[in-house]
Amino acid sequence: MNPVYLAGRGLASALGPDLASAMVALGQGGVQPGRFEVAGGWAWPYYAIADDEPDWMARTRRIAQRVAAESGALAGPRTGPLFLSSSSLDMGGLEDHSIFDGSDPNFPEAVAGWLGWRGPVFAISTACTSGLNAVLSARSLIRQGHTDHALVLGLELRNRVTVGGFGGMQLLSATRSLPFGQARAGLVLGEAVAALHLSSQPSRWRIAGGANVVDGQDPAGSVPSAVVAMCRQALADSGLAPQDIALIKPQAAGSLNGDAVEAQALREVFAPLPALVSLKAAIGHTLGAAGAAELALLTACLESKVWPRVDYVQDAALHAPLAEQAPRQARHVMASILGFGGGHTAVVLEDLAV
Amino acid sequence: MSQWHTVAHVAVEPLPEDWRASLAERLGQRPRRIGPWAELALYGARLCLDAAGEPTLPAGTQLRIASRLAPMAAARAIAEQARVGLPMPFAFMQSQPSQMLAALSQHLAWQGDARFSLCRDPHAALQLAQQDGHMTGSLLVGWVEEDRRTEWWRLVAQA
Repeated sequence: MNPVYLAGRGLASALGPDLASAMVALGQGGVQPGRFEVAGGWAWPYYAIADDEPDWMARTRRIAQRVAAESGALAGPRTGPLFLSSSSLDMGGLEDHSIFDGSDPNFPEAVAGWLGWRGPVFAISTACTSGLNAVLSARSLIRQGHTDHALVLGLELRNRVTVGGFGGMQLLSATRSLPFGQARAGLVLGEAVAALHLSSQPSRWRIAGGANVVDGQDPAGSVPSAVVAMCRQALADSGLAPQDIALIKPQAAGSLNGDAVEAQALREVFAPLPALVSLKAAIGHTLGAAGAAELALLTACLESKVWPRVDYVQDAALHAPLAEQAPRQARHVMASILGFGGGHTAVVLEDLAV
Repeated sequence: MSQWHTVAHVAVEPLPEDWRASLAERLGQRPRRIGPWAELALYGARLCLDAAGEPTLPAGTQLRIASRLAPMAAARAIAEQARVGLPMPFAFMQSQPSQMLAALSQHLAWQGDARFSLCRDPHAALQLAQQDGHMTGSLLVGWVEEDRRTEWWRLVAQA
């Protein structure tokens, strides 16, 4: 089995057009969400990428090209697999032109064309867990020697179906994102395009393992036994014990019940809990892009020791406090995403610089 | 690379007119709150497991489903609803392919690794599934096109 490394990464989010600007913004306390209005005058807080291009497809193309270039993947052969991870794909573009026949089946190939990518293209669509599932599929191919590189491109950009859909389900906060917060009242959605360039060539971050567990008992939420199974399987796949994990980035989406279920399940596996960090108060919940976006941001935070500010009262009843600063050392880090459709997915990273 | 043995393979196209009634009869109930695309996935998966002689999906089996288009009717409905107001919750959920994974988990009495991908090439999707499945050696793979086709493979790695 070949080891698999994170060779490069890129991110455009509400924090800025690239990771360097995101670190600056985060170091200054982060950014506030704007508002996204849908039909009927409904509006919710929303973390948008600052880019005023009105044409959805032109904007998407420019951002995707810039982020993929930031990851370094475009400097290589571009012949490995491309995994697009998204919940909404080109819905925003279809809305621009009032075309409602469903996503263009050629959209993933169009994205590949923008990047000059010549390898096979897959669009992983498992809702919020899409990005981490894409990482696990890419890792599988590299480990077995079918390819020596792959690109995971998380892409979640403005569209009213997504915001209206979550709003219609009464899952959105009217105020702000408060992961594990005492006053948490729902999700705040956001835009992101993230690129993770995976390779068999050694670099600082090794993808040590991971797990994906689907349990349909609650199609819109997380299931405690599945969170526990996800953690234990990810640890086993990584050859680690719970005490080896120095930092966890949980889903922590700010939902009343979801955060409670997750915190309780984490406490069942990890006793005591390692340091915890949430990135959703910084960039929002970026759905199908979240796995890739949060891995890119998390590794950048750990390298630069810039840390998301926790400027709200945390829920003491969860017994899962978010860390106020970066851990001094974190060799093994677990990042998880829980999502619609009963998806529970985790990836374990090893920092070889520690 | 694992060598795979096909325990069962079913391909249904065109769909029989009574396929939804057959599914309800086989499950003992009509599936609730899922759209026609997810129901068609369930129909094919159930047929394939029956052909394999398996009442439920065995623990440790990995589930991989692919499609060229995914749930089209729900996507059309949700886009129109969003154009004029807030989408209806059930329609929104039915437009999400991941709800099909939840339905399969529920009705096949199974918790495990399931993944859906949009792909133009069924052969590439099958290859990716087999590469994902090398650790467990047990796969249920489906290709589902709404209103048209459901094709499934029950695969186990050769010892």
